Amino acid sequence: MSDATIEVRDLRKRFGRTLAVDGLSFTVEPGTVTGFVGPNGAGKSTTMRSLLGLDTPDEGQALIGGRPYHALRTPLLEVGALLDAAALHPSRRGRDHLRWLAHSHGLPMHRVDEVLEQVGMEQASRRRAGGYSLGMRQRLGIAAALLGDPPVLLLDEPVNGLDPEGIQWIRTLLRHLALEGRAILVSSHLMSELEDTADHLVVIGRGRLIADTAVADLLAAASGDRVRLRTSSRTEAMELLAREGGTVAVTDREILTVTGLPAERIVELLSASRVPFAEVGAHRATLEEAYMELTRDAVEFTSTTATDEDGVTSR
Amino acid sequence: MTTTPTRTVPPYRSVLHPARAGFVHLLRAEWTKFWTVRAWLLVLAVAAVVTVVICQLGASGSSVSGGPPIVLGPGGEVVNDAFRLTHRTLTGDGTVTARVTGLKDASGKGLGPWTKAGIIVKSSLKPGSPYAAVMATPGHGVRMQWNFTHDKAGPSSDLTKAPQWLRLKRLGEKLTGYASVDGQNWTRLGEVRLDGLPGTVQVGLFVAAPVHEIVHRSFGGTSEVAGSGQATGTFDHLTFQGKSTDNGWTATDVGAPAPDARPGNSRPGTTTVSPTGTYALTGQGDIAPDENSPDMVQMSFQGVFMGLLFMVALGTLFVTTEYKRGLIRTTFTATPSRLKVLAAKTTVIATITFTTGLIATAIGFTLAQRTLRSNGFKPPEFPDLSLLENPALRAVVGSAVLLSLVAVLALSLGVVLRNSAGTIATVVVLVILPQILSFALPLPVAQWLLRATPAAAFAIQQGVTYYPQVQHNCLPESGCYPLTPYHGLAVLVAYTAAALLLAAWTVRRRDA
Repeated sequence: MSDATIEVRDLRKRFGRTLAVDGLSFTVEPGTVTGFVGPNGAGKSTTMRSLLGLDTPDEGQALIGGRPYHALRTPLLEVGALLDAAALHPSRRGRDHLRWLAHSHGLPMHRVDEVLEQVGMEQASRRRAGGYSLGMRQRLGIAAALLGDPPVLLLDEPVNGLDPEGIQWIRTLLRHLALEGRAILVSSHLMSELEDTADHLVVIGRGRLIADTAVADLLAAASGDRVRLRTSSRTEAMELLAREGGTVAVTDREILTVTGLPAERIVELLSASRVPFAEVGAHRATLEEAYMELTRDAVEFTSTTATDEDGVTSR
Repeated sequence: MTTTPTRTVPPYRSVLHPARAGFVHLLRAEWTKFWTVRAWLLVLAVAAVVTVVICQLGASGSSVSGGPPIVLGPGGEVVNDAFRLTHRTLTGDGTVTARVTGLKDASGKGLGPWTKAGIIVKSSLKPGSPYAAVMATPGHGVRMQWNFTHDKAGPSSDLTKAPQWLRLKRLGEKLTGYASVDGQNWTRLGEVRLDGLPGTVQVGLFVAAPVHEIVHRSFGGTSEVAGSGQATGTFDHLTFQGKSTDNGWTATDVGAPAPDARPGNSRPGTTTVSPTGTYALTGQGDIAPDENSPDMVQMSFQGVFMGLLFMVALGTLFVTTEYKRGLIRTTFTATPSRLKVLAAKTTVIATITFTTGLIATAIGFTLAQRTLRSNGFKPPEFPDLSLLENPALRAVVGSAVLLSLVAVLALSLGVVLRNSAGTIATVVVLVILPQILSFALPLPVAQWLLRATPAAAFAIQQGVTYYPQVQHNCLPESGCYPLTPYHGLAVLVAYTAAALLLAAWTVRRRDA
């Protein structure tokens, strides 16, 4: 196995009565940006802390390049991490924060200047961190993660607090870093933040894996054979299409989503019955929708396991 | 379902050369963390200034003037040298033997444990002159003592049950003490060489009865009961071997009136000789170091107490702010070995606080000494203290070590408690509260506190030596600590080491 991977195997971590991570397994390959998605409290941060050796898993393994974190001799050169952008001493200047990190690995001071330039913080880094906006903290945190030029990056909610320009910047940066062959794990509780950034998704809910899939596959699956239809005669259209074997859902006041019937057949049926309609087209799911669909399953899933104490997984 | 083509990107290789993250790098990282927080540098500077200023204020509040004339012993220390003596000269070698048959209180206030009756060889009758003596005491058995500061225990016989034979032999400058229960079988007590002992010396029987104070303390109040200041010792079987210019024995009060006698308490001694050769000497005073003179070393370190608070704050904040901000996770991510992080933090904070503490105590001491000089603390009673010699050196360096240890104690507890207010409160309770309580609590409790808590370490600032052969009440309010300077500091070392071990254990075990 190559150096630049993140592996989580059967990870389990309990805090008191809460099972934060429950048998989670996934792998992040080099050259990909993997989105790590789940609602707040799903176990994303616990998994990341376990990968960084901050939390000790009760069971299972969290490995970087096949090794547990504490076995890394020069961790900053192997993994860059951004856990909490607010983790700064307010009276320490931004560049001093990077200086002590650099000193811990004997890195030359020009690395500090390089990463500050890379994140656009050359000026702001001369001020104390207490006065930074959330966006500036995120940039400094990313600079700290990049300090050791590591092949693996773990970023916990890096988009949080960035302005639109900043979001665009980080998307470009992450894509670029992935193209260089780095393995990147980016967590988020908002799927939309990962649109156009992630190649791969690891979706978790209540500490369990819900999906481990390529983004393209997920979108294709979520789009399915759905057809989007705009009509002023909603009721007639719904009755007609349902009678003919379609499943019809109301999406908006004049918009219906039809499954189970191809678009040509719908046009044919509506025209024959003289039901007025304006648009008929194949539906293209957004990542957000795909995610909602996944998590809806997860909610059903968790409600069944609540009664099933054996916790037998069957999806 | 469609499948995306698998991307084949070669894994990224860092352009940086991996260098092993050694401990020196870690020290540099922690040092950078310290100096880049301006508030901490400021606290450090304030700690030094406050220490110096309060040392100075403390010294200017102390003054001394007049007082009874002082007596200095052969070692330059202030001594008590007043006692009842029945003596004659001895030229060359010789031996004095006598049997002590009793030692009674003559003041009606009880007999102190260090009341002395015995045989003495003294270079002259001048107070403070070199001597060696063998003696029986009510509380400490038979002793051999010489030149005030030296004491050697003999048999622990009880005068009230059986008389005690004593013998002191002179051979040149060498003096040998013996004890016996029957006058036949003799035990050697000890041998001492008194350098420069003149050919003709004074030998004889003596009685000394130090004032012994019994202190009763309850919350807020202290009452002193002065015990015996006068005792009668009875002797028989007095023999003298050697050459003497005197034909018989002469009775004298050496050093009269006793320097430590209270007004109206000084009575001349008496000596009676019965026809059967029984001598009864009634006398006051003591032959021992004087431990009641002000401690000029300790008086110069009153600011350390305040400086300590700042060091506690620094030691605490150096670690607890990292927990508060979540920065500790960044630290442990950069250095997964948490024990190394703890070691580096400890080294950095210990070095910084020691260095600052040393500068502050050295300056504070020097300035305080100058103030004390101008306030009447002058030689010979208060000799010049060199910064490079004990006890001043011990107190200056020891105070800096104390400040440093307390900072490390705070850092360790900060790792355990992860909370600034809780840590500072705990350290203050451990180090400073015992000091304050010791002024008010009953004496045994107060002394126990100053032995068993980190406050014991303040003993390192003591310049006065407390000798075991002197009855001393060791009042905390007069600056007395029950442990010797190094033992006191060792108590703090033990606490700090225990806190560090606890910190090491928790930092490894807990999730960050």
